[in-house]
Amino acid sequence: MTPALLYALAPAWAQEAPPSPAPAPAPAEDELPPIVKMPELIGFVDAPYPPEAKAAGVEGTVGLAITIDETGAVTEVRVSRSSGVPAFDEAALAAARQFGFTPAEDTNGPVPVEIEFNYGFVLDASSREGAVPEAPPADAPVAEAPVNLEGVLVEMGTRRPLANVPVRVEPAGLEATTDAEGRFRFRGVAPGSANLVVVYPGYDRVEEPVEVVAAEVTEVKLWVRNQSYGDGVVVGVYRKDTVEVTRRAISMEEIRRVPGTFGDPIRVIQSLPGAARSPFGTGFLVIRGSNPEDSGVYVDGIRIPYIYHLGGFESVINPDLLAGVDYLPGGYGVSYGRTTGGAIDVTTVTEFPDRKKVTWSTDILDSGGMVIGRFGKKQQHGVGFAARRSYIDALLPILVRDTGFVVKPRWYDYQAKYAWLGGEDTFSVMVFGFRDDLLASAPEGSSQGTDASTQGDFSTNYETHRVVVRWEHPIDDTLELRVLPAFGFDGASILVGDQWRIEQGQWLAEVRAELGWEPSEHFSLTPGLDFLGGVSPFSIALPFDPAQFAETDPLAEREPYTVSDTQWGWGPDPYLAATIRPLANPDALILTPGVRYTLVSIPGEVTTSGLDPRLGVRWALSEKTRLKGSVGLYHQPPQPFESYRADDAPVDLLQEESLSATVGWEQDVGAAIHGELELFYKASSKLIVGNPEFDSLDDPFFTNEGVGRAYGLEMIVRHDPVGKLFGWISYTLSRSERRDYPDSDWYLFELDQTHILSVVAGYKLPYDFEVSAKGQYVTGNPTTPYSLGVYDVDQDYYEPFSTGAYNSERLPPYWAVSARIDKLFTFRTWQLDLYVDLLNVIHGENPEFELYNYDYTEKTYISGLPFIPGPGFEAKFEF
Amino acid sequence: MLLPLILGCGATQLSQSWQIDRLRVLAVAAEPAEPRPGDVVSFTSLTVSPAVPVAMTTWFVCVFEDAAGCAIDPSVTEDLEGLDPSELSAEELAALYAELQAAGLIGVEPFLPPTWVVPADTLDALDATARLEGVTATVSVTAIPDQEVVDEGDLELAFKRVPVSEATTPNRNPGPVGLTVDGLAFPAGTRVALERGQTYTLAVSLPDDAIEDYTYVTQDGVSETRTEEPYFTWYLQEGSFDETDTLYPYVEVQYTTPASPTLEEQSVWVVVRDRRGGMAWTELPIRLR
Repeated sequence: MTPALLYALAPAWAQEAPPSPAPAPAPAEDELPPIVKMPELIGFVDAPYPPEAKAAGVEGTVGLAITIDETGAVTEVRVSRSSGVPAFDEAALAAARQFGFTPAEDTNGPVPVEIEFNYGFVLDASSREGAVPEAPPADAPVAEAPVNLEGVLVEMGTRRPLANVPVRVEPAGLEATTDAEGRFRFRGVAPGSANLVVVYPGYDRVEEPVEVVAAEVTEVKLWVRNQSYGDGVVVGVYRKDTVEVTRRAISMEEIRRVPGTFGDPIRVIQSLPGAARSPFGTGFLVIRGSNPEDSGVYVDGIRIPYIYHLGGFESVINPDLLAGVDYLPGGYGVSYGRTTGGAIDVTTVTEFPDRKKVTWSTDILDSGGMVIGRFGKKQQHGVGFAARRSYIDALLPILVRDTGFVVKPRWYDYQAKYAWLGGEDTFSVMVFGFRDDLLASAPEGSSQGTDASTQGDFSTNYETHRVVVRWEHPIDDTLELRVLPAFGFDGASILVGDQWRIEQGQWLAEVRAELGWEPSEHFSLTPGLDFLGGVSPFSIALPFDPAQFAETDPLAEREPYTVSDTQWGWGPDPYLAATIRPLANPDALILTPGVRYTLVSIPGEVTTSGLDPRLGVRWALSEKTRLKGSVGLYHQPPQPFESYRADDAPVDLLQEESLSATVGWEQDVGAAIHGELELFYKASSKLIVGNPEFDSLDDPFFTNEGVGRAYGLEMIVRHDPVGKLFGWISYTLSRSERRDYPDSDWYLFELDQTHILSVVAGYKLPYDFEVSAKGQYVTGNPTTPYSLGVYDVDQDYYEPFSTGAYNSERLPPYWAVSARIDKLFTFRTWQLDLYVDLLNVIHGENPEFELYNYDYTEKTYISGLPFIPGPGFEAKFEF
Repeated sequence: MLLPLILGCGATQLSQSWQIDRLRVLAVAAEPAEPRPGDVVSFTSLTVSPAVPVAMTTWFVCVFEDAAGCAIDPSVTEDLEGLDPSELSAEELAALYAELQAAGLIGVEPFLPPTWVVPADTLDALDATARLEGVTATVSVTAIPDQEVVDEGDLELAFKRVPVSEATTPNRNPGPVGLTVDGLAFPAGTRVALERGQTYTLAVSLPDDAIEDYTYVTQDGVSETRTEEPYFTWYLQEGSFDETDTLYPYVEVQYTTPASPTLEEQSVWVVVRDRRGGMAWTELPIRLR
């Protein structure tokens, strides 16, 4: 229980504005959690006008100190500033004791507060006695002194004008409240020295001396410093309106402060339950035992093929333009499809600030900037631009000794968004894209292996570009149409020397459409369509015919092989989702049944389909306790390379299938602490594996004989990023296995990690310092033991022979602690955030994989990343 | 993933393939390199063992016509372990040899030089065009050190492919191979004196006809004349090379002798592979002074 709080919450007597809370002494900053909700007056009581004062034509204002308890009841009232008329004081006291308020709340819940309230007695009020005095008519002659002190109140760093903030002149005791543009005015301030005082929750106290000159209007600009600068738009930790059973949303403020992630929101997911740690700290998504390609990554609902730039350290979307990231490890609804793993839904900004905002970020990998704001006479056009470019290709030659070898990784990404903010319809256009290039070459005269065809430069490239349009149109109170067409291009290439060339382009069209029908708060029905179609030309040139792979004779003569072809395919994926809230309290029990039909047709090659019935349940046992569960089928079509045949022979492949079930429990502890426990089980079938009877190109390359299973427990206890502290403890206990053929043995999935423990915490220190740390302990990945090699004399290498079953042993566990230190400098017109991201400050040996010697008689571990300090900065401007 | 490779990741802690510090089979040559059915093929190997002498080397052969390859019954080779032929009677030897021959045994060095008579019917199942490409035989080599063999890791196991065909231009081994030191040639077997901690240029010399032109018939039936593209693999006991694999026409490497050698007398080897199954090699004995 927090002690009684004395806050500066007092109604100010605005001479030209309605009354609002007036200031009171501020609390000690380091002791009290911040108020997140002010008390609201819901029951005003008129005091009878004292007859003597009325007869004498006397008016007055009584300053009251009112104590409100955590239920909103008034427990004490006293006169803090007498009107000078005892009858007024007595009448105001009596009335105020009967006031009704909603309680104030801090981060822990309702708390008692004391506020100041000015109770006015005005004879000109219509027929109400003791009413709040009305503002004088605009055209009424000014009977009082002229304005001789005025100014504007502005937030430091953002230059944002602050509205509805009380400003006082001491020692005169005059009060005013800032208007919508942050302006305040005082009349009749006595000439001479005075102090302007601003005391308001969440801001530093300001006391500015001012010299009032007779017969002049003194103008002042007051700068007030926010005690907690954070990203403007924050996605709620658990959205109350979501119907997804398991959705772990991350706020941008949390994302920025998690060490070792370079501020990248996607990488933060690896610190959440259900996500395995990927090698070398790269951000590849391995969710509940699924391969990375089994999970879908979406940007504003549109799936993209790659989520990371080269190396897997930075995602392809600039975090400055993101509103949030939703992480769905499983049990998600039918609006997501064509995957059997998890789903990551990245949403770009939908709020555009009134003031234009510019940011610039630089770290050891890349630099980039963003501009966002509203434009137009009526501020109805929201526009945002962001772009980044790497420079690791320029740094590598400096960091690495000169061996003559050239390695040049390079990437860039861009995003541009326009939104119409003027009407009931929602309309936006998002254009984004990225490109990654890698060039590697050896010095002239040095060999790159012994294959003559692989000599020369190696280069790889991939790119994606998209245009996404979103239109949401409310037809009536119960019906809304949502259409999201998207168009784009994906490209990829691998070139080695002058004999290896693999190039592919892909033109895509995707249309998502939904008709949301919500006739009542207890039921909604959403039929939808997730259409995807595309045409993909590709070209392959190799120094050998793939038929030689079948013969596996390295002495066989090679013939150059080229093939160029175009695949095209489409899939409509209609779905029907419902939300049923059968109880009187619509949030008490939520059922989300749905069904999705996944059809993929690549004419002339393969046509496969799957039906996905799914059901989710959320049951709120109380306001703080919820049970949840889900069960459903998920289908995933074959990859394009799995369904292609140069001879156009039909491919008899089915979609991979997964039956997923979850059951979980959520518990809120206070307003900022949440706990969650979830059990999951996933059985996969019809997994696409190599054909064991493949003997020639006439045989199918792949079959659907593989099966898999994954099961485990996920737990998280989380503290929201309110106040000074944020963080979470995440733990996953799981097992993931595969079996490729009916007569083969089960084996551990390559990234099966029995225990995954992550602890993340951040704390705001005085003087705008922030520190955060992340610790992780993860079971080592499976590995296959070898102890013998047989020398292939013709190819000059040893073929390994394993002494144990595939993936029958494990590497030693991984553990590491990373830290981050931020220092925010707030200037009048801009802010600068300097930080150092300390990756692996302390760490174990952390072998990522075993490396054997040439004949498999010795081995060593290839360790993970060492300690890497990553300095950076971000500058923010608003205008 | 580039970062750990660039910053160094522990690979140099392991023994390297170009460092000869244990029993190794570095190369195997068949003569003729591409026999015809009925030909008698003799085999030689570059087997090195700096620490322990080689007690015995067994040779087995089988022929396959598909990608499955062939396997020699391991129980047959197990029977040879610890066996001293000098303790067997003539009849026992003959019976053992007949059993092993049936399993594909073609030689037991130093007692029986490996020799294989290619069966006359090896290509009978193929049509005329396919016979030009022929089939591939596999020769399995097991080198056994003259010490107690604890497990298979103490042995050196190797295999080599031998193309059997009726090619109009059958492959030949790319030898003999010569080696120069800073441009100077030495008679084969000469032990060359080199200074410690110095760098020398070693260069391979090949006969003019070592790199062959040959005829290849494409899948479309078109005859092409192609030229071999050999490569060289270098080995040493101590010291270092600037490169351990070189592709023709890059025939040189920079060899730096050890500054503090553990052995005063060592060797350097180079093996030439013509990528068609042909192989040759040479050894440069050196004395470090």
